[in-house]
Amino acid sequence: MKSREKTLRRSEMQLLEKIKESLDKLNEKMEIIIELQKQEPRNLPEQLPDALDVMTLLSLPDHLRKTAITICKLGRATADEVAEQTKRARAVESAYLNQLVLMGYLKKERVGRKAYFYVEREGEKQ
Amino acid sequence: MKKIIAVHSYKGGTGKTLMSTNLAAIYAMNKYKVALFDMDFRAPSLHAIFKVNSTKYWLNDYLNGICNIKNVIVKCSNKSANKSGDNLYLALANPSTEAIREMAAKDRKWEMKALGRLLSLRNTLLNDLDFDYLIMDTSPGLQYSSINAIVSADTVVVVTTMDISDIQGTQRMIRELYDLFEKKTGIIVNKVPIEMISTLEEREKLRKKYEEISNLPVIDVAPCFCDVLRLGGNTIFSLEKPEHPFTKILQEIATKIQKL
Repeated sequence: MKSREKTLRRSEMQLLEKIKESLDKLNEKMEIIIELQKQEPRNLPEQLPDALDVMTLLSLPDHLRKTAITICKLGRATADEVAEQTKRARAVESAYLNQLVLMGYLKKERVGRKAYFYVEREGEKQ
Repeated sequence: MKKIIAVHSYKGGTGKTLMSTNLAAIYAMNKYKVALFDMDFRAPSLHAIFKVNSTKYWLNDYLNGICNIKNVIVKCSNKSANKSGDNLYLALANPSTEAIREMAAKDRKWEMKALGRLLSLRNTLLNDLDFDYLIMDTSPGLQYSSINAIVSADTVVVVTTMDISDIQGTQRMIRELYDLFEKKTGIIVNKVPIEMISTLEEREKLRKKYEEISNLPVIDVAPCFCDVLRLGGNTIFSLEKPEHPFTKILQEIATKIQKL
């Protein structure tokens, strides 16, 4: 009887974890949508930019510049690692990083459950 | 505390190179391990001041990805700089016209890679090679190489003259450049006529006045000494004339920058 209860509890926990994971993903997507809505479509670059150089960094809005510089310094990082440097919430950094990906300045790569963000520099190891 | 310092200005001829070479020499004299980088690729000057006629690799080569930074850094063996012990190291910019032309024609992608290489210096120089200070002498104004240096630095020292266009340009750069990159910034008002600041009190009064009227964080005001011009940039002033009043002022400035 007890072991049945245990199995039930374990499966409940697994279900809860799955729900939490889905909610996290949903939250991340919502943050991106909110960020994108803040930007007027005409403000988005017409052509995809090809470099995150200092002049481009200067032209970014303050909140995105901070995230972009942190990635330049770290080379390749997760939203957690960026948040640790900028002292902002992980969900916020995740939204900013994804926006920088959509704007064409950063690349994103998934390894298992983690998402890594980086600046693509041709001919260099990431 | 280990530090990367970029020495910058709005206009040319304000005394950036004089300030960066002397800061480097003073820190080296005080037993700190110092690397002085010539980041003025449009008008290199450190090779002439330190009398280095040839080198296997230039800073240009490091930024081009041809070599490691260890191949570029040379120990300063100049006669007068010897007084700074074995602590002063140099990374020189290639002064050939061809190299200057080549650096001026770089595209955004190259500048982005160069920024990555400059940012990686923090780890290589301050951690692996155990340098205490990296001082970057830059080009005036909004040049790619200068902004790359500023982004890589902890502290930006801006040298300005009393010229109104210079002061206004410096104010603009603070608002629209250094602040945006969240850099600690300190201003030095250089080439002030000596009769205006002949006493310590007058110097402090003028410093405060500049801080108030310009709303800039002014580290110090430095007088214009003809003795500096007489040396013709042939040597490092603070090492050549250790007892000169200008050397004393440079030493005070060096200490204030350490505390920024």
